[in-house]
Amino acid sequence: MAVVVVMMFVAAACSAGTTATTATTAAPATTAAPATTAAPATTATTAVTATTAAPPAEGVAYKIGFVASATGPGSSLGMPETNTAHMLAQQWADGITGPDGVHHALDVIILDSESNPDVGAAAVSRLITEKDVDVLVAGTLSGNALAMAPLAEEAEVPMISMGSARSIIETDGVTRPWIFKTPQENGHSARWQATYLKSQGITSVCYLYENSGFGQDTLNNAKKFFPEAGIKIVFSDTFERSDTEFPQMQGVQSSGCQAVVVGAIPPGASMVTVALRDFVPDLPVIQGHGVCNATFISLAPKATEGVVLPCGRLMVADGLPDNDPQKPVLMKYIADYTAFTGGDPVSTFGGHAWDALQWAYMGLSSLNEGPDLKDRRAGIREYIETNIKDWPGTGGVFNVTADDHLGLKYTGLTFVRVEGGKFVNFPPKDW
Amino acid sequence: MRDFLLRSLKHKSYKFLAVGGSTVAVVALILILGAQKNFGPQQYGQLIVAGLGDGAIYALIALGFVMIYTVTGIINFAQGAFVMLGSMIAVTLYASKIGGTGATGLIVAALLAIVATTAIGVIVERLTIFPARNADSLTLIIITVGVYITLQGLALIFWGSNARILPAFTTVATSDLIFRPGGIVLKAQSLWIWGTTAVVLALLMVFLRRTLLGKALRACSVNRYAARLMGISPSRMSIFAFGLAAAMGAVAGIVLAPASRPIYDMGLKLGLKGFVAAAMGGLVSSPVAVLGGLLLGLTENIAAGVTKSGLKDIFAFIVLIAVLLRQRRQMGRGLE
Repeated sequence: MAVVVVMMFVAAACSAGTTATTATTAAPATTAAPATTAAPATTATTAVTATTAAPPAEGVAYKIGFVASATGPGSSLGMPETNTAHMLAQQWADGITGPDGVHHALDVIILDSESNPDVGAAAVSRLITEKDVDVLVAGTLSGNALAMAPLAEEAEVPMISMGSARSIIETDGVTRPWIFKTPQENGHSARWQATYLKSQGITSVCYLYENSGFGQDTLNNAKKFFPEAGIKIVFSDTFERSDTEFPQMQGVQSSGCQAVVVGAIPPGASMVTVALRDFVPDLPVIQGHGVCNATFISLAPKATEGVVLPCGRLMVADGLPDNDPQKPVLMKYIADYTAFTGGDPVSTFGGHAWDALQWAYMGLSSLNEGPDLKDRRAGIREYIETNIKDWPGTGGVFNVTADDHLGLKYTGLTFVRVEGGKFVNFPPKDW
Repeated sequence: MRDFLLRSLKHKSYKFLAVGGSTVAVVALILILGAQKNFGPQQYGQLIVAGLGDGAIYALIALGFVMIYTVTGIINFAQGAFVMLGSMIAVTLYASKIGGTGATGLIVAALLAIVATTAIGVIVERLTIFPARNADSLTLIIITVGVYITLQGLALIFWGSNARILPAFTTVATSDLIFRPGGIVLKAQSLWIWGTTAVVLALLMVFLRRTLLGKALRACSVNRYAARLMGISPSRMSIFAFGLAAAMGAVAGIVLAPASRPIYDMGLKLGLKGFVAAAMGGLVSSPVAVLGGLLLGLTENIAAGVTKSGLKDIFAFIVLIAVLLRQRRQMGRGLE
């Protein structure tokens, strides 16, 4: 008998991640105006026409499929993303009224990839074939996003990735037509790091990266951008997210490098910083944009002090000048997110989900009644590619084009430093 | 006579050459690989320290495997979950300031975590192993795998998927006290881990050899039926073994917590490494399990240090395969 109970537990544990948490928003709206939070100019006019229209006709329900790494090794990134999705689903509970005045209910279907490419890919294919989603926002970790992208491409569903590797939106220099992404990328991060290292007169570095698709991508980009700035990578090695002892440190010590660059996410990134401070206390530590969350500091409060890194502006929103185009968006997101989660600190990763979901929402809002699912999917793709221009999001000011499905310059990131347990703006003039 | 001497010499020298030769080859390979990375004595010393640090934890976990296997004949793959529960419960209790803050808070949290994990071990035994006690051992082992997955799932529900932090014992702060004898970095927490492993092993040996209860446990492992005829209840011994193994797992988790960052899924890898260590002693010998743990930690860290650190786990499982193949041969011999 007890065995049966255990087996049921096991079954429950195994399926926990794959059960759909559907944020149902099917309630027909009495007021037709969509939530105009930071809506771009085009949808703002839409809202005005909608409110003046007669009681709107009810169209088909729109569906946004959302898959993030809410659990597993990538959860310090995926959890804020999932929270953001729940928050926006609540904000968009009224549904969407198209330019033609027809109202549509909006479903945001939120799934967990468990940081596992297989689970993530299965979730995406189910969203495409069974749930008939109009648009996908999926993939927290680059490895997961890379597993999902071909499925979206094949089914011709627009997918906005929250993973950062360039290869998600580009294969062999050719842009994948159906895939977009919102996170700044490792190339941007590497350019900032190279600029900083050069300004400090550093010519040889050690590179430690986590054993994952993301870690490998950070190294590849460093290999591309560091030599241009006259910086040699004299030693590189991987580590696991769960490591407690770091034999890599012997390699770092004996290689005689002048600084250590790390490409990882927490908790591994925090652990390796602790080890670096123990073994090579005099070497500067430069991290990448994978650690732009409070977790990174809270897991190693003393060791992370003085670490410098390129990071999204979200982490230093308070310190931005008022004329910064992103500032209102960032402040609103921070206020909304902390209120929704009851005081959780924001991270840039939640911001990537916010940007991606806004694109999906804007794409859906641009559709007229009439087209079938296939045309709707194509319409959203078309919309994102042509209409995201000078759009201030949390990750930067986006200019998406047919050739660039990210649309950010490397200055989308800014340079920060950990001081007093917080990220503080550290612009080039202070270097 | 001459013939016999020659034959035995041949036989012995063959064995000697094989063992000695392969040792020399491995050491030479390590030195060559290390030389390419400019490794000196300090680097090797550091790798050994790191290896013993990891190894002592594997040893503690291995003791839990040995305890349950000797008494019940079950390989308890839920042992890793006890380690995770120990550290997660300790972290939570410490954060809740149940025993005050500072050192007393840490001691109270640690003790309560051990008690709670022991209770969970006992409950697990009663709910899953006891009802299936007449099933064959393979079924029971699969049940323990199910228990592991269940406990990990429950931990995910209770604690979420974020890593936690427990202060180092010596400083009761997030930073660890560092010694640098001869330029080798030695963390205060490593001393705690080694000390704890030694104390647990010593207590376990005394308990099994000198106390009545310990002797009853051993009797049960030698022959269940005969033990029962002597008035020892195997069912009670099974509860006891699970409780003790859970407590040892919790201790391992608690001393490890400041050196790592406890997270709900930390148990699987630790459990498997502990199993590798326990398997070196054929799952029945506590001292060999401890030696096995230390050896595994050393192998892993030295091998990863001179090659690529990404290969760390691969070396652990190469050791496992080698050990299992050797055990199989020995088992075959036993049957002869």
